[in-house]
Amino acid sequence: MMMNKRTPIQSVILYTLVISLVLFCVFPFLQILSTSLKHPIDWGNPSLIPRVLHLDAYKELLGLMPAKEIDVPASVQRLLDNPALSAEKKQMLLDKFTSNDEVFAFGRYMLNTFTISFVTGIVSTFLASLAAYAIARLRFPAQSLMANGVLFVYMVGGVLLMVPLYQMSVTVGLASSASGTILSLFLIYLIQTLPVAMYMLGNYFRTIPFSLEEAAMMDGCSRVEAFWRIILPLSKPMLFTVFIYCFVIAWNEYLFASVFLKQYQDFQTLPLALQTLFTSKNAIWDRIMAASMLTLLPVIICFMLANKHLSGGLTDGGVKG
Amino acid sequence: MASSILIKNEARLGLKLVAPAIGIIGLLVIYPIFFNVYLSFFDVQLNGSKTFIGLDNYSDLLANPRYYHSIGVSIIYLLGTVIGTTVLGLAAAVLMNQEFHFRNIARGLILLPYFAPVISVVFGWQFIFDPVNGIYNHVVVDVLHLTDTRENLIGNPDSALFVVILFDIWKHFPIAYLLLLAKLQSVPKDLYEAAAIDGQNAWGRFWHVTLPELKFVIATVVLLRIIWNLNRFEDVYLLAPNVETLPIFTYYQAFAGIVDQGGAAAISVIQLLVLVGLIWLYVRKVLKW
Amino acid sequence: MSSVILRNVNKSYGNLPIVKNLNLEVKDGEFVVLVGPSGCGKSTTLRMVAGLEDITQGDIQIGDRAINDLPPHKRNIAMVFQNYALYPHMSVRENIVFGLKKSGADAETIKTKLADVSEMLKLDEYLDRKPADLSGGQRQRVAMGRALARDADVYLFDEPLSNLDAKLRHHMRTEIARIQHQYNMTAIYVTHDQIEAMTLGDRVVVMRDGIVEQVGSPMEIYLQPANTFVATFIGSPAMNLFEAKVDGEELVFDKYRIPATSIANVDLNVLASHDTVLVGIRPDFFEDSALSLQRSPSDNLFAFDDIQVDLVENLGFDKEIMFTLGGENAKARLDLRSHVQRQETISLSVDLNRVLLFDTSTQGMLINAGEV
Repeated sequence: MMMNKRTPIQSVILYTLVISLVLFCVFPFLQILSTSLKHPIDWGNPSLIPRVLHLDAYKELLGLMPAKEIDVPASVQRLLDNPALSAEKKQMLLDKFTSNDEVFAFGRYMLNTFTISFVTGIVSTFLASLAAYAIARLRFPAQSLMANGVLFVYMVGGVLLMVPLYQMSVTVGLASSASGTILSLFLIYLIQTLPVAMYMLGNYFRTIPFSLEEAAMMDGCSRVEAFWRIILPLSKPMLFTVFIYCFVIAWNEYLFASVFLKQYQDFQTLPLALQTLFTSKNAIWDRIMAASMLTLLPVIICFMLANKHLSGGLTDGGVKG
Repeated sequence: MASSILIKNEARLGLKLVAPAIGIIGLLVIYPIFFNVYLSFFDVQLNGSKTFIGLDNYSDLLANPRYYHSIGVSIIYLLGTVIGTTVLGLAAAVLMNQEFHFRNIARGLILLPYFAPVISVVFGWQFIFDPVNGIYNHVVVDVLHLTDTRENLIGNPDSALFVVILFDIWKHFPIAYLLLLAKLQSVPKDLYEAAAIDGQNAWGRFWHVTLPELKFVIATVVLLRIIWNLNRFEDVYLLAPNVETLPIFTYYQAFAGIVDQGGAAAISVIQLLVLVGLIWLYVRKVLKW
Repeated sequence: MSSVILRNVNKSYGNLPIVKNLNLEVKDGEFVVLVGPSGCGKSTTLRMVAGLEDITQGDIQIGDRAINDLPPHKRNIAMVFQNYALYPHMSVRENIVFGLKKSGADAETIKTKLADVSEMLKLDEYLDRKPADLSGGQRQRVAMGRALARDADVYLFDEPLSNLDAKLRHHMRTEIARIQHQYNMTAIYVTHDQIEAMTLGDRVVVMRDGIVEQVGSPMEIYLQPANTFVATFIGSPAMNLFEAKVDGEELVFDKYRIPATSIANVDLNVLASHDTVLVGIRPDFFEDSALSLQRSPSDNLFAFDDIQVDLVENLGFDKEIMFTLGGENAKARLDLRSHVQRQETISLSVDLNRVLLFDTSTQGMLINAGEV
């Protein structure tokens, strides 16, 4: 069927359909890119191509804008000039006028998000690889219960657990400090990623011939060494894929971040910060779009790198989506 | 039969390796599931104080019209997204299984929505439907002249539901497409050749060969979509917080306005029961295929 | 090098017995082949020696070490796997020296061993390749090299040639035989291929359903099979078995009366206690009577006259002919001097010294067929 020569009409139909589908998929991205590069007066312009290239949004988010002149009222200036005032007091006064309220601390949020996503990805991939290996390869009590349990846990969404998890962290006292809150959030990200990671890695480990480990054991490796020196190096592409997958889950997470980090603005992650920025009065499309673009970019790059294995891994793994 | 030291050692290693992961899952998933049931019998405050109220949370909930409304919204959302992603996924799979120029690029591009973080695409969608600047109103009002007034589709919960459904289809059809394409590629060519010899045209071949082969994968996709979308939060809340599907209703109960964490726990308990039923169906039916 | 002793070894999965009460001693420097149809427990036995399967009951000893509770990596065993199990992420060189390095060998030893092995197996030009870039035969040689590079007490081979085509298999069989003689290694070799068993083994262990049917040198197994299973499993085409009535001192089937007294080492008293026996004649031991005329009558020949030839398969030097004898389909292998044609009626002779008798009910060998 596929090999048959198509009539010109069939070709036209095929290409029209393909192009429409691709456009449907990429249009929102083009829209984001376009708006992020447009000057505010240009927003109403339906064309995707900006009349003037406007990079201020990016410059501002990336901290490339020249520092604003501090505009200090004359009355305050007189106070500052008063030599009786201590340097400390003066600084406090100055800070009032230079407070960062207006500036969206994109870099900080990016760093927060990156840090927690990265740590989540690493820890989750590591713990999952141990557990998945054991479940896929070793015989021990309750093994099949665990294998099936993972599938179940994998499908129980975070939404169902938000109340008990929040209450647990309050009861234990973690919710009352910034570090405790971040720890809670990290643990929650771990459980949101561990089952998927275990599922994907378990399926992958099962495809590695058992005789490779046996050969390694014959060559003098203990079980753990065989895992470490043979199975893990062999699984590098899949480990990377799973890491990316976990990283992106944490990178995307909004629900628990909003519950836990509301009062700790310095530690907020991008999804939360962007949503706050968007709902605040000074929502400015170009900044939001530029921020979206910058949030998107690392993920797109990661997935480009992992795409080859990812498509397979996702379909093999039953898939969260 | 006494098990040997080798078997015991293997079991010990196995337990050691699963311990951290299973420990965390047990503590933070399994325990909370039961804790949730416990909490649903209490009046629970944000600061953790609890008062036992028996089944009041449940009776309040069942008397709350907002609850039924959110169930209705969820059902429409599920119907729309499940049918939409499956149909579009199937169409995309059939399309991308044809041979044409730049096929690999096209295959890569249509995966983009799935891979993109929700947070970085929702605002793009907001902008498209923005009443002042958005391309949607531009096309509908200025180009096609279908109506005179620019509408805020996302501002109105009723129309926002459809934007949210469209967004979900856009974002998640690639996963249905991937699963279906994988199966499609494994359909033996001679089946098509046999059907062609039997005089079936393209549509007949799709209907009599492709669909029956894909039956089980389609069922898998449908069931998995229902399971995931029943819990979906970010994609809805971030795009249109006024669309109250069940998870969003739960979130408002638990953390916004008049906080009612016990009530939220009760919703979750009921929803979990439905979910367990669906998972059971998935495990018994789909995984057995 | 070390000996390997298996004492009353049993293996079962749940209630399903796989290996039943197996006793075997492999002497230092001996090459023992385990052979049998699939599912006979030969691979399981090998894997118990390796430590890849645990032992349900019994003991295994390497040298003077009891190894039952020793994990595989502490047994100092090298093994060649059926699917080669080469590490895909390592080059041929890394594959070969992996075990050596693990055992803490010094750089000099590693270098010499690698050079030795790669020269012996002609791997020099492939050392930097990855397994994926090798042909099946090359991979097989790397797998051999990886085992041979090791200074192991025992070498185990789990059907190492079964994934090769016939020609390559023959070549590698010869190679293994050569290497074994050169290294004088203690080896246990599992195969379902009786030719490998016959050509490689110092001793051959024939197994069926988890039981050792016979242990012996290849010629003992061939000439004095312990029972009809061994008799028909070893040798190709399989041994012909004819059921014969015992009539005094004669064995009767079809229209033939074979003088039992002429069969080597027959005990007439034992024979007298049986109504029927199975007469076993290997196809190789038939001769075209037309060609055996020059023999003297004292050669103890018996002639089956009036044999109707159903089919002739010319194999080059040999030809296999099929015919019916005693109601059974039978085969004979004649050499190229014979000009037998299909549908012809001929006479086949057999040296009664080579004829075997088996108990009809127990299928066990009835007599000692004499010297090998």
